[in-house]
Amino acid sequence: MNTARYVEHVMGMPIGLALRGRHTSDAQAHQAWSKALAILRDADRVFSTYRPDSYISRLNRGEIQVADCPPEVAEVLNLGEQARRESGDAFNVRRSGALDPSGVVKGWAVERAAQALAKLAGTDYCLSAGGDMTCHVASPDSPAWRIGIEDPHHLNTVAAVVPIRNGAIATSGLKHRGNHITDARTGMTPTAVASVTVVHSNLTWADIDATAAFAKGSDALTWLASRPGRTGLVVLEDGTRHVYRSNATRLATC
Amino acid sequence: MVTPVKRIVFSFLATVSIVVLLFAYRTSTSGRMTAAPAISGGSVESTPAPSSTSNAQTVTGEVASTQWGPVQVQLTIENGKITAVNVLQYPNGNHRDVEINDYALPILIDETTKAQSAQIDMVSGATVTSDGYIRSLQSALDQAK
Repeated sequence: MNTARYVEHVMGMPIGLALRGRHTSDAQAHQAWSKALAILRDADRVFSTYRPDSYISRLNRGEIQVADCPPEVAEVLNLGEQARRESGDAFNVRRSGALDPSGVVKGWAVERAAQALAKLAGTDYCLSAGGDMTCHVASPDSPAWRIGIEDPHHLNTVAAVVPIRNGAIATSGLKHRGNHITDARTGMTPTAVASVTVVHSNLTWADIDATAAFAKGSDALTWLASRPGRTGLVVLEDGTRHVYRSNATRLATC
Repeated sequence: MVTPVKRIVFSFLATVSIVVLLFAYRTSTSGRMTAAPAISGGSVESTPAPSSTSNAQTVTGEVASTQWGPVQVQLTIENGKITAVNVLQYPNGNHRDVEINDYALPILIDETTKAQSAQIDMVSGATVTSDGYIRSLQSALDQAK
């Protein structure tokens, strides 16, 4: 099956789209791709901490209240609060009194953008933002998307491959952007874990959990196993690879 | 009298067969089923268990050769019951989909270079910035297609 590929840069990261099936390169495909990008740019305008005119920046300067913002600001902050509680404070969109919801926004925004692609009848899509992606197949006969998980110690090789038909995958690590993940409880960058990959039904929580588990450092595997409906891979700093699956997940085979 | 360890190995082997039969079933349209695969044994190690219970064990089977290629599974056993099955390797041949259910996806760990030749649609990795993208594996994939 032919796969059409698109790449644009939004929010300082590459946004990639793969399409196969009925609409891969026609006007409807291009329109859906443009719409998906527009949704991501909108999210950037609302949530970016790099833009002085974003709602988040204005909240941080005390110029407005959450009630003055579009409803998605409250939605994202509520997700952040839920993530803080469920991660035992390792994940927090509030640091030293300032809001930085970027750990929630990426997965959430890509999940919203993918709704534009879901309108393409008979078409499989895989939408990626900087290495985190949500996948969909239009028919039970469609083959799974095959997602390579980057080896954090050898960036041009994959550590594992996972087939995903309808679901999302997110990976957190330090290799591409320097030490940008810190444990909110200590402000320290964890060193035990090289990368955490989470496969889940939606990218919002796959992305949050990958970041939170990474921040938890040596507790990452224990915590991930307690999260319902997650599976994935943790690569430790010593190079060992650990596949985990939620305790709550039941297997159909045995 | 069967010792607990033997019982674990027996159930492990039984599960290997189940997994292999699953492959056999899924791929049976393209080939005749053959005899059970050669399995030379398994190893038991105590775990870095991703589980809150203290008596979990991880059992990694040796690679079994099947008509379709190598199969290797890893089991997590708690209180004598299998609580998780990970497929560490499965054949790269004519299978299309070996999902067990929506969330219990097989994660395929490939030791070295074989994964490079496997067909991959996208790459999941720690956040790639626009600056880093040009040197990334994803970029290479995008250009190849």
